[in-house]
Amino acid sequence: MKMTKIYEGSHQWIMFGRDENKPSNIIDSNQYAVRTANKCLLMDPGGSELFAPMMAAILHHAPVEQITDLFASHQDPDVISSLGLWDQALSNAKLHAPALWEGFIRHFGCESIEYVPIPDNGGTIKLENIELQLIPAHYLHSSANFHVYDPQAKILMSGDVGSALEPAGTPMFVENFDSHIEKMRYFHQRWMPSNHAKRAWIERVRNLDIDILAPQHGRIFKGDDVKHFLDWFDALQVGVAV
Amino acid sequence: MNIQTKSQFVAVASITSELSAVMVVAKEISLAAANAKAIAFRAGDKAKGFQPITDFINELAKETIELVTSINVYALSLYQLTVNEYRKTIAYNKFELITELSKGAAYARSMEEPLEKAKITMENCQRQFKRDVKQLLDQLEAVMHHARAARVIAANSRIEASQAGEYLQSLQAVAESVDKAAHTIHDNVQRCRIALSLYRNN
Ligand SMILES: [Fe+2]
Ligand SMILES: [Fe+2]
Repeated sequence: MKMTKIYEGSHQWIMFGRDENKPSNIIDSNQYAVRTANKCLLMDPGGSELFAPMMAAILHHAPVEQITDLFASHQDPDVISSLGLWDQALSNAKLHAPALWEGFIRHFGCESIEYVPIPDNGGTIKLENIELQLIPAHYLHSSANFHVYDPQAKILMSGDVGSALEPAGTPMFVENFDSHIEKMRYFHQRWMPSNHAKRAWIERVRNLDIDILAPQHGRIFKGDDVKHFLDWFDALQVGVAV
Repeated sequence: MNIQTKSQFVAVASITSELSAVMVVAKEISLAAANAKAIAFRAGDKAKGFQPITDFINELAKETIELVTSINVYALSLYQLTVNEYRKTIAYNKFELITELSKGAAYARSMEEPLEKAKITMENCQRQFKRDVKQLLDQLEAVMHHARAARVIAANSRIEASQAGEYLQSLQAVAESVDKAAHTIHDNVQRCRIALSLYRNN
């Protein structure tokens, strides 16, 4: 599991991904952690196959008892099917996940972890002295879906939005936006169901000050590429399977 | 899932299916008992010896049904225990793998406590499973006992039927069906016990 620090300030953002030992038939995913002095939040902690390598990687940054918060942007197995294992490892943790999906996500096993349901209009996650915003991203692609915005680090963790399907060992950051487009097009056209939902999200996100857009698959967007992505996504027709 | 776990799932799941077959047959016995009672009543004095037997058959069928109902509840909880044990074992194995993978990590030692806890939980599950299997085997033994008793009664019924003149055939048919049913119950329960006994001591 590769680890990349994508923000270092009063707290840290760490990205985990490109696991060399991942079976080739499961989709590669990016996991993110926010680390404060005494706490650690994991965002989209991943599928059950990833649990052991993820935990082992996090132990480079935080002890297990300081992993106090998990976040699931939506209900997909690549996002949170590891929950049943975290549930047995963490003794004092909360899972922030869409209220709408509670009865579904609990199928993965959620006994000792407290499920904190996120209402449709969003909310916040407090981690010691920082406050992260939960931005609604419904129907992108899941019917109840949230992204995490950190106003201090200016990072938007954007779940499946901005994702690209790429071969193993791909670099962490988008280097050439134009050549990256083809790797994202089909994913967004096919997985994202609604132009209307896309419009609403873009309007909301254009009001945020974003330096880094961090998706759950593929590469991270930095600086001007964030704007490039929003413009490209704005013009794209989605929901093409019908 | 390894072969041991897989067959444990199958063994536990098969109990419920074998028992539902036992249930059907026990209901057949109870029906045969009602039938026999009617015939014995019509036969009057000729089937005097048969009348108490029909009550006995009926009682036995009822007890078997009750026993199987309670065993079914037990089998379901055993199934849940199997699922639980499977989950705990997976977690423990993953935690061990983490210990391996995190060698040299700054906070590697913080996994020691969860690992130890997972080990204890897993072992408790395994112990409880063995305990519950033993209890279930005892209950199944009780059903077998009932089945054996039913066969003895069937044999007695045949003797009594032979005194019943023109009712001989119909009473013999009753004895026959009780015997057959008891035989089926015996076989089904025996299969459950063989499947389960693998897990009693290992
Ligand atoms: Fe998804
Ligand atoms: Fe995904």
